[in-house]
Amino acid sequence: MRQSDQTTPSDLTHSSPAESAETQSEMQKRAFREGVKAGSPSLIGIAAWGLVTGIAMIKSGLTLVQALGMTFIVFAGSAQLAALPLIVLTAPIWVIFLTGLMINLRFVIFSVIIAPHFTHLKVWQKAFWGYMTGDVSMVYFMSRFPSEQPEPGKFDYMKGLFVANWTAWQIGSVAGIFLGNLIPQSWGVGFAGTLAILCVLLPMVLKRATLVGVIAASAVALATFHWPYKLGVLMAVIVGMLCSMAWEEWHERPGSVSEGKS
Amino acid sequence: MNDMDIWLVIAVLTLGTFLTRATFWLVGHHITIPKRVNEALRYAPASALAAIIVPDLLIHHDHIDVSLTNPQLIAGIVAGVFFVYQRSMLGTIVLGMAVFSVVRIAS
Repeated sequence: MRQSDQTTPSDLTHSSPAESAETQSEMQKRAFREGVKAGSPSLIGIAAWGLVTGIAMIKSGLTLVQALGMTFIVFAGSAQLAALPLIVLTAPIWVIFLTGLMINLRFVIFSVIIAPHFTHLKVWQKAFWGYMTGDVSMVYFMSRFPSEQPEPGKFDYMKGLFVANWTAWQIGSVAGIFLGNLIPQSWGVGFAGTLAILCVLLPMVLKRATLVGVIAASAVALATFHWPYKLGVLMAVIVGMLCSMAWEEWHERPGSVSEGKS
Repeated sequence: MNDMDIWLVIAVLTLGTFLTRATFWLVGHHITIPKRVNEALRYAPASALAAIIVPDLLIHHDHIDVSLTNPQLIAGIVAGVFFVYQRSMLGTIVLGMAVFSVVRIAS
């Protein structure tokens, strides 16, 4: 367990007077609300993506119960979307498994970033909150807590982000499952998700090193969009990271050659 | 596929979700990530978001399309400019979807 100079929530609730424990739980609630609020602008887009996934599940012939089961248990939109045509084609189960695994590979990178923040949690909490990670939640968490240092409210802020993201996704998905056959594909409802991510991304590219990585990642994603299993996304992430690092190395690092010139 | 097969698919996909997202949470403290790698990883989310949406914006009818008849691109540009000035995500999504629909129907 990681201990620090800052008192952790559990310490306070167990060893402090009632007044202080009350303050602690208020602080946790505030941090949770702060997380929900931070994620809230993106929720319409997340729900739109859930909607599209719900529609796709029902249209590919899953029963109501199967579709509901899939959304509530699997909780991985792009893997679900990729699995559907394989189900229709009755592909072997290991092909479907590997496809889902490949498509989620970017989350391995995300988990390497986020897991060190929560080394003090119990095993089941780690498994659960790891499972709840989403793309957009990840970005909001990173911008609020760039450092791994323990900070009060971090866990509750993360819960707020993840729970709001999960709720929006499931509302969209369940709506899609029930409305599936009423919404025409041509409306392009899923594009709302793309627009939401655009809004998350734009403020990030104010930092020059991030912009460089984003441009590189975009180019790679376009060049590899026909790659199977969304492996192009993984490749784009790796190239984007390297380009951002290279830029930081040459232009922004204290003591670098270019310092003071630019 | 019969009902049993579908539930088997759901089970293996769930396993995939857990393996990719939660494994490092559970075993990460046994693995030391070099400092430089950790610094590089901070740039991963932005690159991932770009890699997800840029093909959505630029690929139309299965190839890269930078013309005025690509509804995603036009809507994305209008929405992006609007967001930079207004900072309203809801407004951006509503405007973007409106432009997307108009260009889609018109072209």
